[in-house]
Amino acid sequence: MYGLTLFNISLTLLIYIGPRVLYRHISNPFTTPVLLTTILVIIVLRIVDINYEQYTPAKEWLTYLLGPATVALAVPMYKNRLVIREKAIQVSVGLTVGSLATIASAIGISKMLNLSERIQATSAVKAVTTPVAIEIVPIIGGDPTLAAVLVITAGIFGAAFGSLCLTLFKIHDPISRGLGIGTVSHGIGTSQAVTEGRLQGAVSSVAMGAAAILTSIILPLIYKLFN
Amino acid sequence: MKNAVLFLTQLLILLAIYSVSNYIVQLINLPIPGSVLGMILLFICLSMKIVKLNYIEKAAEYLIKHLALFFVPYAVGLMTYGDLIKTSGWKLLLMIVGSTVIGLVVTSGITQYLSSKGTKKHVRSDSI
Repeated sequence: MYGLTLFNISLTLLIYIGPRVLYRHISNPFTTPVLLTTILVIIVLRIVDINYEQYTPAKEWLTYLLGPATVALAVPMYKNRLVIREKAIQVSVGLTVGSLATIASAIGISKMLNLSERIQATSAVKAVTTPVAIEIVPIIGGDPTLAAVLVITAGIFGAAFGSLCLTLFKIHDPISRGLGIGTVSHGIGTSQAVTEGRLQGAVSSVAMGAAAILTSIILPLIYKLFN
Repeated sequence: MKNAVLFLTQLLILLAIYSVSNYIVQLINLPIPGSVLGMILLFICLSMKIVKLNYIEKAAEYLIKHLALFFVPYAVGLMTYGDLIKTSGWKLLLMIVGSTVIGLVVTSGITQYLSSKGTKKHVRSDSI
């Protein structure tokens, strides 16, 4: 039992080194460490026939530092506080309108694709960090388990393709880039934004926290408007 | 050896802030996760100079550098949703991609537009 956990921990750490080194040489969406590491770990677990339940003790070990690592994001926020404060109004407007656009487009596209009402409600929380999404989704009639799946997928997509997407739309301002990534893809996006630049990482951290607080307050109110 | 002790001490400070935040969140039923409250608390402590940057900086930089790793085990959990992905996976993916791109471009686009207007005014007032 302990052997298996040790194997799973070592496996994840070893695989993580590969994409990290690779990304330094070839930076493209498909070599984004969080995306590539996840895919490789799933493939290896499938090959050696280990299911997620057996992997869970390793998960507990490996994610022990996620809490303090999120707390640590206050450091880049603090170091860049003056630059961010100067753009406080622009950042607040962008964040609020952007969060509303994310929620509205998620519900709108779900309706267009004829997804069930339960899925429509769940789609509305997909941009915020998992613990917040799980807390607010029952209030609007969504499913917490599906919420976690959508949140993680949105995070990985934002981490891998967000940067490319912003460049395509000619958005080069580092504050604006970090703000967008943190707003639509929470901590997973932030983990990638910190590698793009200090300022991007700092603003992305602010956006992740603010979008979570904003969404938990306004979502129950605006969801009524849609139904 | 000295560096290792320093690093561990810094890590313990971050863990302590995280634990206190978790406790506060449970105590008064806040709608945000303990880690986000911890981030806000640490920011306040840094601003008020209760915590100095060099108390935590090394450990903080290290954890942030490897933030992506800590999300991987959760993402691996997607492997248990094979059936969901087979039945409505492409629709869900289309919704996520569409809405994430819209949200991203709107958020960043508005912020950059408003910022550039501000900067231009600033430049003009400087030149006068």
